[in-house]
Amino acid sequence: MTLDPLQIDRTVQQRNRGRTKSLHSPVGESIVVRGLLIGVSLLFLAIVLLLPLAAVFTEAFRGGAGSFFHAISEPDAQAAIRLTLFVAAISVPLNIVFGVAASWAIAKFEFAGKSFLITLIDLPFSVSPVIAGMIYILIFGASGWLGPWLAEHDIKVVFAVPGIVLATIFVTFPFVARQLIPLMQSQGTTDEEAALSLGASGLVSFFKVTLPNVKWALLYGVLLCNARAMGEFGAVSVVSGHIRGLTNTMPLHVEILYNEYNFIAAFAVASLLAILALVTLALKTALEWRYSGELAAASGH
Amino acid sequence: MVSLPLPQGTRGPQPEAPQGPVRIDVESLSKRFAGFAALDDVSLIVRPGELLALLGPSGSGKTTLLRAIAGLAPAEEGIVRFNGVDASTLTLRERRVGFVFQHYALFRHMTVFDNIAFGLNVRPRGQRPGKSEIARRVRRLLELVQLSGMEKRFPAQLSGGQRQRVALARALAIEPTVLLLDEPFGALDAKVRKELRTWLRQIHNETGLTTIFVTHDQEEAMELADRVVVMKDGKIEQVGTPDELYDDPATPFVCDFLGDTYKFQAVARDGVAHICGVDIPVDEDIPDGPVEAFVRADAFEVVPRELAEGAPAIVRSIRRTGLGIIATVSIEDAESHLDIQLGREMVSSSEVSVGATIFIRPLVATVFATCAASG
Repeated sequence: MTLDPLQIDRTVQQRNRGRTKSLHSPVGESIVVRGLLIGVSLLFLAIVLLLPLAAVFTEAFRGGAGSFFHAISEPDAQAAIRLTLFVAAISVPLNIVFGVAASWAIAKFEFAGKSFLITLIDLPFSVSPVIAGMIYILIFGASGWLGPWLAEHDIKVVFAVPGIVLATIFVTFPFVARQLIPLMQSQGTTDEEAALSLGASGLVSFFKVTLPNVKWALLYGVLLCNARAMGEFGAVSVVSGHIRGLTNTMPLHVEILYNEYNFIAAFAVASLLAILALVTLALKTALEWRYSGELAAASGH
Repeated sequence: MVSLPLPQGTRGPQPEAPQGPVRIDVESLSKRFAGFAALDDVSLIVRPGELLALLGPSGSGKTTLLRAIAGLAPAEEGIVRFNGVDASTLTLRERRVGFVFQHYALFRHMTVFDNIAFGLNVRPRGQRPGKSEIARRVRRLLELVQLSGMEKRFPAQLSGGQRQRVALARALAIEPTVLLLDEPFGALDAKVRKELRTWLRQIHNETGLTTIFVTHDQEEAMELADRVVVMKDGKIEQVGTPDELYDDPATPFVCDFLGDTYKFQAVARDGVAHICGVDIPVDEDIPDGPVEAFVRADAFEVVPRELAEGAPAIVRSIRRTGLGIIATVSIEDAESHLDIQLGREMVSSSEVSVGATIFIRPLVATVFATCAASG
């Protein structure tokens, strides 16, 4: 079934009219039903989202600010924070390059196997992160395909930083591409054609026309990618080996502290992740608000 | 969507600007899209400095032909020559084609100034004019397209007509050898369309460039172009001046497409066909048998009742225009009501009034033998 845009437009108009002029518009619900629905949604939001968030910060500061800062400044926590930032600093730029290249190819060119490539990009979304981690154990682990060769050359991938980076890249791979593909597809190729017909080379056209046209969607994708890269638990947990001070990222460190019943420290580190999430959300909202038009073509998740 | 041909060897030397306007030879171009022929063995000569219109309904291949000439989407077979040089040996930069896109394709993140300067700014360092020279040229182009003072605006802050003019200025900035426009006025309202039409003619006269534009609007093509190419189903139906097309259409399609004609089915016998109660002579090469006759809306006349000639027609309504009247009449032979244009002298005639029966006859008709292929 196709949706008639005029039809939608009309429905929206009617709804708006209902809101402003009459509480009993023929197409709207009665005020009681509306109040009930809104109330239920808000309650649900509060229980599922706001309460846990509040709990994280309450628990983190249960022992006062002193123990909070002690928890996040002890060496293992510091190492976990550094490792998390390090992993994000590698995987996010790489995924920007991969994501831009993939979406550029998909949106601007016709080639055989295109739909297969699109499916492949979505794979990390559909596969459990634990399996993503297992894949790397299977390939790079001691008894994996490349394990003996790696051992011979004294290269450590699994239970070391390279494994964590690989697993993170895998899990966060779709974020940038998924954000860019719909926008680039809707923009089509005429801008690039115009640039080429004006004498620009392919590279110049890419950097002066293609990239500026998608910069906000790209930034948006990078934010999401970064949030996930720092927060990833499942895949990283499998390949990390949980070596304190060496291969523990922040989410893993939180788990360890929690399992040791060190709740204040666990929540303190968790609150850092929560702050990161909030900052990301705030930036994302600001971007959406400021560049709603440009982002409209890119559908979210 | 099409793949973009990436220009290669862009660091090569810029060819000398050709002297005078360019002649374009299109030789047997063919291109297929998913099984149907977008271009089917099309050959065409574009004379130096002429303003040529590619006219046809959607899907007739006119835009495909334009893009093939521009080198944006090369055809699978055939050659395009610019002044005799096989264009496929030239990069897009070397072709120096000023292309104006249907929806302008202005760079939305750049100001008007940067849009127009783009083609100059992306030149290799050796051939790039200096900053002040670029600014001078952009200002001159803005003057030409009557947008002086708008250089700091962004495309989103311009009206459709202004965007169109920026697109044209941008295309002219690279000092093109030919100017190609894809449906240049397609997205504009009627008034702006008319203004820009006159203005494009002026620009053409001033620059002297060989110019080709695509349109589906026959009025636009006829008014603006030196010659018109009528296309249908990937083939050229007829090439000629507006007068030639109007007076001597080559095919029923051209006749039909050029508008304001009515089709009558008739039978030719002994060199005449009986149409609307009148015997119209037909060409000798048309054999006896079923024929299609096309009569233009302004080629009917009202026959005084006492002559009892022509076809009886009932007047359904009358609209007055500045030049005369348009009467909607119904007659037996025609499939639908006819809107016939009558001269001013008829307005005063009491014969033509709503509900009255008048006698009309065609003054001229174009007759083709009916064949299965003709639409």
